[in-house]
Amino acid sequence: MAGISPARKHAMAERWLALAVQTYPVPSRRFLVDQRDPFRNPAGQALRKRIPELVEELFGEMDAGKVGAALEDLMRLRAVQRFSAREAVGFLFGLKTILREESAADWETLARWEERVDELALAAFDLFMRFREQIYQIQADEARRRVAQLERMYSREG
Amino acid sequence: MKALVPLAAILGVAGLAYAGGLLPGTRALLGVVLPYAAMGIFLIGFSFRVVRWAWSALPFHIPTTCGQQKSLGWIRSNPIENPNHKAGVAARMALEILLFRSLFRNSQARLEEEGPRLLYAENKWLWLGALAFHWSLLVVLVRHLRYFLSPVPAFLPALDAVDGFLQIGAPQLFVTDAVIVAALLYLLARRFANGRVRYLSLPGDFFALFLLLGIAITGILMRYFTKVDLEGIKQLALGLVTFSPLVPASVGPLFFVHLTFASLLLAYFPFSKLMHMGGIFLSPTRNLANDSRARRHVNPWDYPVKVHTYQEWEEEFHDKIASAGLPLEKERTRA
Amino acid sequence: MPETATRPEELVRISYDPPPGDWRGSPVEFRKGTFCHAAGAKSVRYLELPNPRDWQPTDQDWKLPPNWKEIILAGMKERLERFRSFRLFMDICVRCGACADKCHFYLGSADPKNMPVLRAELIRSVYRRYFTTAGKVFRSLAGARDLTEDVLKEWFYYFYQCTECRRCSVFCPFGIDTAEITMMVRELLNLVGVNTNWVLEPAANCYRTGNHLGIQPHGFKDSIDFAVDDLEDLTGVRVEAPINRKGAEILFVVPSADYFATPHYYTLLGYLALFHEIGLDYTFSAYASEGGNFGLFSSHEMMKRLNAKIYAEAKRLGVKWVLGGECGHMWRVIHQYMDTLNGPADFLEEPVSPVTGTRFENARSTKMVHICEFTADLIHAHKLKLDSRRNDHWTVTYHDSCNPARAMGLLEEPRYILRRVANRFHEMPENTIREQTFCCGSGAGLGSDENIEMRLRGGLPRANAVKYVRDKYGVNLLTCICAIDKATLPTALAYWAPGVEVGGVHELVGNALVMKGEKERTTDLRGQPLGQGAEAIHA
Repeated sequence: MAGISPARKHAMAERWLALAVQTYPVPSRRFLVDQRDPFRNPAGQALRKRIPELVEELFGEMDAGKVGAALEDLMRLRAVQRFSAREAVGFLFGLKTILREESAADWETLARWEERVDELALAAFDLFMRFREQIYQIQADEARRRVAQLERMYSREG
Repeated sequence: MKALVPLAAILGVAGLAYAGGLLPGTRALLGVVLPYAAMGIFLIGFSFRVVRWAWSALPFHIPTTCGQQKSLGWIRSNPIENPNHKAGVAARMALEILLFRSLFRNSQARLEEEGPRLLYAENKWLWLGALAFHWSLLVVLVRHLRYFLSPVPAFLPALDAVDGFLQIGAPQLFVTDAVIVAALLYLLARRFANGRVRYLSLPGDFFALFLLLGIAITGILMRYFTKVDLEGIKQLALGLVTFSPLVPASVGPLFFVHLTFASLLLAYFPFSKLMHMGGIFLSPTRNLANDSRARRHVNPWDYPVKVHTYQEWEEEFHDKIASAGLPLEKERTRA
Repeated sequence: MPETATRPEELVRISYDPPPGDWRGSPVEFRKGTFCHAAGAKSVRYLELPNPRDWQPTDQDWKLPPNWKEIILAGMKERLERFRSFRLFMDICVRCGACADKCHFYLGSADPKNMPVLRAELIRSVYRRYFTTAGKVFRSLAGARDLTEDVLKEWFYYFYQCTECRRCSVFCPFGIDTAEITMMVRELLNLVGVNTNWVLEPAANCYRTGNHLGIQPHGFKDSIDFAVDDLEDLTGVRVEAPINRKGAEILFVVPSADYFATPHYYTLLGYLALFHEIGLDYTFSAYASEGGNFGLFSSHEMMKRLNAKIYAEAKRLGVKWVLGGECGHMWRVIHQYMDTLNGPADFLEEPVSPVTGTRFENARSTKMVHICEFTADLIHAHKLKLDSRRNDHWTVTYHDSCNPARAMGLLEEPRYILRRVANRFHEMPENTIREQTFCCGSGAGLGSDENIEMRLRGGLPRANAVKYVRDKYGVNLLTCICAIDKATLPTALAYWAPGVEVGGVHELVGNALVMKGEKERTTDLRGQPLGQGAEAIHA
């Protein structure tokens, strides 16, 4: 897969970013893409940082650690942003269209890449569900902390 | 839509005023009645709004503090961003009003692509645009005094000389004329180009910008591009301020567009967001000293409220207080 | 919140077209995880507030009083006369957009109505319609709209998505403070019985028993005694913690979470150790056992009703002045409201530190001193023996809690303390601290379980900066001086920046404080073993 130039990867990442941003309300899209301050625009910058990493891995080693870290950041965000699972993960499939249009690869190579996209999407779906569950868990933990000392006190007395 | 209706309104006004400037019957209406009426509306409306703000009570002491408070002597406090004295408040207000301090606070962090060094870039276009517009407007307004004063005070030619320091063209280009148009165009472009700002803009926001642009452009046209009878205009202006109005025949229709726009601005002012000019002085998050623990602030409409008194509390929990061995105000003999 | 399901092949370019219609159209949809439950009738009734009933925001019918619209409009009229801030902030916004990306909820949600300017426009549009000439004549052309039930629901949704943190007001060229507008709208909503349980239940509890959880006097006594026992186990020193003691010099008021929640509790242990060590003549009060004031989140009147207890108790007990613990909104109330609401406190004396003799002139009228001011003064006067190595297992950052930062300016005192009790201290990026600090996302009564998703969105900007110092410096403890922070930031950080704990400034003071007669400390106040200490860092 040496045939993909950095410029081409960059173009794909940009289009893919556009797809991801498309899932946000219109007035906020440009801000998410353009505001480069990672502290002023944490959500947009997570997308901007992680999407090229995924592209890199897709054409590279598909390193589990790197893919996982990137997807985690994206899904952690989308799990609390009012998306259904389908909406949260859906933009990943858009990469297939981009691959077809942006690369001159043969059918076989394309099929292999598309398989990788499917892999990414499935992993993302897992992560999405994991974060949704985590939300319930941290909610329960918080409730416990809220009266933790009272509980300790009563259990010692009891 | 939000921009089209205001634009149409402004163009319509321009057309009417131009036509009115050509017809003898309406020249007095546009040159005398309209400016007086507009000035009347402006003065009464502006005062009314300011007085109404002033009459609204100031029940609590709510400055927004943007720096270290004055507490322990050895901790350096920030007397301007967090003033605890009137002098500090005056400085803070001056910075806000003259230099738009808060708008300047728009710092922006950026990570270098490789390596974790943190850079702070500045994101000051809005501040610069706003400052350029307001200061130019002020200078332009002051320059206009020469039409209303006779003899012309000495500082005005000096101001003209400074403003025209570039010494380009004849008549000499005033820097503020170029800057005000550029700044207004920037502010307008921003309302169109920035999705967020476009989304939150109202027709009135565009109306104000179009109107100001209209005034600036007609003024510039008269100064640099078409021949207008300055003497005639000065007679008209002096007539207005000395209450002996006249409309010299030599004043052309373009001037009437300019004058009508200016009148419209005055009349529109008290009904619009432009009132921020007066409001900024009264903003309680900025014009109060952060001394609310050192000096008591009184709420003029304070009223007594229902509270749960200690006595009621002790009454309700008497036995529990007693059993916990806490002191009581009123020992109760057990039955 | 996508407008439609994404069809990738069509969406290769970002569309910046404005959404169909403008923002005044669409009614809000109450989705699980993004709103707080309605206040139960019991609390509403106990506080004698209007329209107690059982309802939920997801109900079609909110069971408003038939004349709700008149009530709201009359309430607006009254408040426009009573609050210059309200009328002014309705009038002078120029919609420049400087505030737009300053709100943590906007940054976390991308929902345009979370831009402070648009949040305010939700009521400004109604103000224009009924209270301005231009709005009455030109209606929508002047940015006006009718007050309808949908508008009311929208108010409820979005004004309970504002944590009254005042960050936007720092950047506004006119100082327009959305917190002020939010307070007004919440007051208006209260007039027709639209309120949340997370605000009113603690308020009712506090009104009745003295604290948010409704702990009764004997329970309060037990929890303080319990803390005294714990502290003895940890340090070997038995301290006194008097309650309702008449004639003490100082009344000490803390947020109630300090004695029943984790990690607040470790801060309480820190206070107890400190006061013992300096021999402070003080007392707690079971009647005024809550410094927090959820009245701030519902109405000025409720704020006054709850706050009244502090001065009343100070007077009854005959103390000289009042000391306040680590709490954010409590300090907004004390610093900017208490003297006005329930003063003058002419029965108290100008606060003077009994240890150093320092006069707290900045508190000479309200007569209440912040614990960080008090402790910073002690340390500066070398009255404490501190072993900062006992905090070497922590790499610390400091989160400025919104209210002490932006409604007070208490910025350096806690930092001064931290730098002397801990060896490893790192600041977060400058546009996320001090007056520009990001809110935890759960203040102003939003910290409920059911609102978790919204809170996590709001917590993202703060947590994101924490993550940065975690990765760069290995920060593993975020310190703060706010009870709501301590309750909710552990949750936000567990999600966004796992591995960073939350603690109080006085927890670290307690760790470092060398007490007379103490046993060798093997653990910190949490009972965690002390680290080996990083000698290299001491300078």
